[in-house]
Amino acid sequence: MLSFLHRRTPRRPKKMLPWCGLAALLLLASSAAQAIPAFARQTGAACADCHAGAYGPLLTPYGMRFKLNGYTDTDGHGTKIPLSAQLSEYHTAPARGPSSTALTEADLYVAGRISDQFGGYAKVESDYAGHNNTYNTRLTNLDLRFVAKELKLGGKDFTLGVSVNNSPGFDDPVDVLPAATSISPSGGSGPTGTFLSQASANSPANRVIGANVYGLYDSNWYGEVGTYKSLPTSTQDRLGYDISGDPGRISDTGYFRFAYMKDMKRQFFSAGLVGLTTKRQLQRIGPSDNLTDLGYDLTYQFIGNRENIIQLAYSNIMERRKYGSTPASPTVPGLIALPRGVVHDETLTATYTFLQSYSLQVSHLRSNGTRDAVRFGPFGNPDTTVNLITLYWTPFGKDDSFTSIANLKLAASWFRFTRFNGVTNNIFGVPFGVAQTKPGDLNAFSVSASLAF
Amino acid sequence: MTKLFLGLCTAILISGWALASPPARAGDASAGSDVFKTECSECHSIKEGRNKKGPSLFGIVGRKAASLPDYQYSDALRGKTDWVWTTDKLHEYLSQPAKQADPGTKMKYDGLSDAKQLDDLISYLSTVH
Repeated sequence: MLSFLHRRTPRRPKKMLPWCGLAALLLLASSAAQAIPAFARQTGAACADCHAGAYGPLLTPYGMRFKLNGYTDTDGHGTKIPLSAQLSEYHTAPARGPSSTALTEADLYVAGRISDQFGGYAKVESDYAGHNNTYNTRLTNLDLRFVAKELKLGGKDFTLGVSVNNSPGFDDPVDVLPAATSISPSGGSGPTGTFLSQASANSPANRVIGANVYGLYDSNWYGEVGTYKSLPTSTQDRLGYDISGDPGRISDTGYFRFAYMKDMKRQFFSAGLVGLTTKRQLQRIGPSDNLTDLGYDLTYQFIGNRENIIQLAYSNIMERRKYGSTPASPTVPGLIALPRGVVHDETLTATYTFLQSYSLQVSHLRSNGTRDAVRFGPFGNPDTTVNLITLYWTPFGKDDSFTSIANLKLAASWFRFTRFNGVTNNIFGVPFGVAQTKPGDLNAFSVSASLAF
Repeated sequence: MTKLFLGLCTAILISGWALASPPARAGDASAGSDVFKTECSECHSIKEGRNKKGPSLFGIVGRKAASLPDYQYSDALRGKTDWVWTTDKLHEYLSQPAKQADPGTKMKYDGLSDAKQLDDLISYLSTVH
């Protein structure tokens, strides 16, 4: 799964204009589709049972339960081949720069249950590198689970599980945290974005390893605690990652997630809290930054008889930072960075799905933070506002379609920037007389075809 | 006159018998289709031979319990050798939590408390054959 504007920067060709590189990133980011037909074969369920639009990643309450049960549910009909693949072809037309068409992503999933207690999946992703028709292959998502089901606690149903995963928030059952949705606000220059955001520079996504213990009490109350550790740069390199995106050495990391979830069959709502605290040495040596993320989220789904589905999701994550160092400005004598700061990431997404086949998704993404003239260039302002609008059609993956366990997704997406680097004009702060870039120059329109089988 | 009297008595007796007998399930199968999609479709298919987490419900009304050869039923349900899924049996089973109706079952269902929806659902299931 690719997230919005993250982890692509190291691959940007060095001579490319800034806005060209960003537009290319938008293309790659829009392929944040996730479909694992191996799970459909395992359970006998249709894609649409777990995903409202018969294609991931947005989950229905049934899909949430499948995830909470450690991906172990089955139709009881023997062992299925635990492999799936996904191919995505994109044509992208950025507001500035040349259009392009490419097979942008090829994925292989190893996904399935090992027993009634063990299940999970891993994804190996090959991404179009954008030059010389080469592809970069990496291990991306990982979520391995042990689960003890049908326990009783105080006379109520209780599920207890452990998830080993490589991205804080990826195992979120409500599927609202940035790592689970792959949608989070993009950032400009500098350390914008929270640690929990996939879009932040040097994000921990897929470059850490952690273990979380979770429990679901009385079908409604979810709690989870865990910890993460960053992978050594040598391991990141072996897994296919450019080490310039290293999240740094993180220590004393604690993660928690609590949520109340109410499934009323025709409707669903949830309210949750998430928190993470860590000490990070971004350069792996020297003083640590203390980061504390705290967020809340709300979701609502109207599911009805599955013909008209509305899904709303809002998350708001605040990060308090106590920096380990206060570097001096390289350009303004006597100016030094602030010792503390706060950043916010907000995401609001609304999705309407008709007949489990036609979907319109609109996301409003906003990131802002404390002004810091040294840390955030060129204006010392990290604020960014983006909209993402996607229209897609998925002809299969329903009980009554040609196949219920594979799907095609034809999509049109539009990324629309309204603020970048804190401004609405001349976002890179070039001098008067030089061609300026507006936020709208980063916009991109794309059409895509994704096939999952 | 005697004939008229006998006729009236017969009519009254028939009406009384009809009123005294248990009410027939008079659900709306069309509405029941929606209830099925909401309550059942994630775990059950109405396609013949298509099992999900639960067995296919094709031809469920009148079927002997645990009788599909290609579905792995719980020991609890396999033990119910005298169960047949009549409309009355389905009504009894689905109106309460599955674990209460059949302790040991694999089925996770809290039951359908809305009597009309239940009648609609069973009427719909009666048409699936």
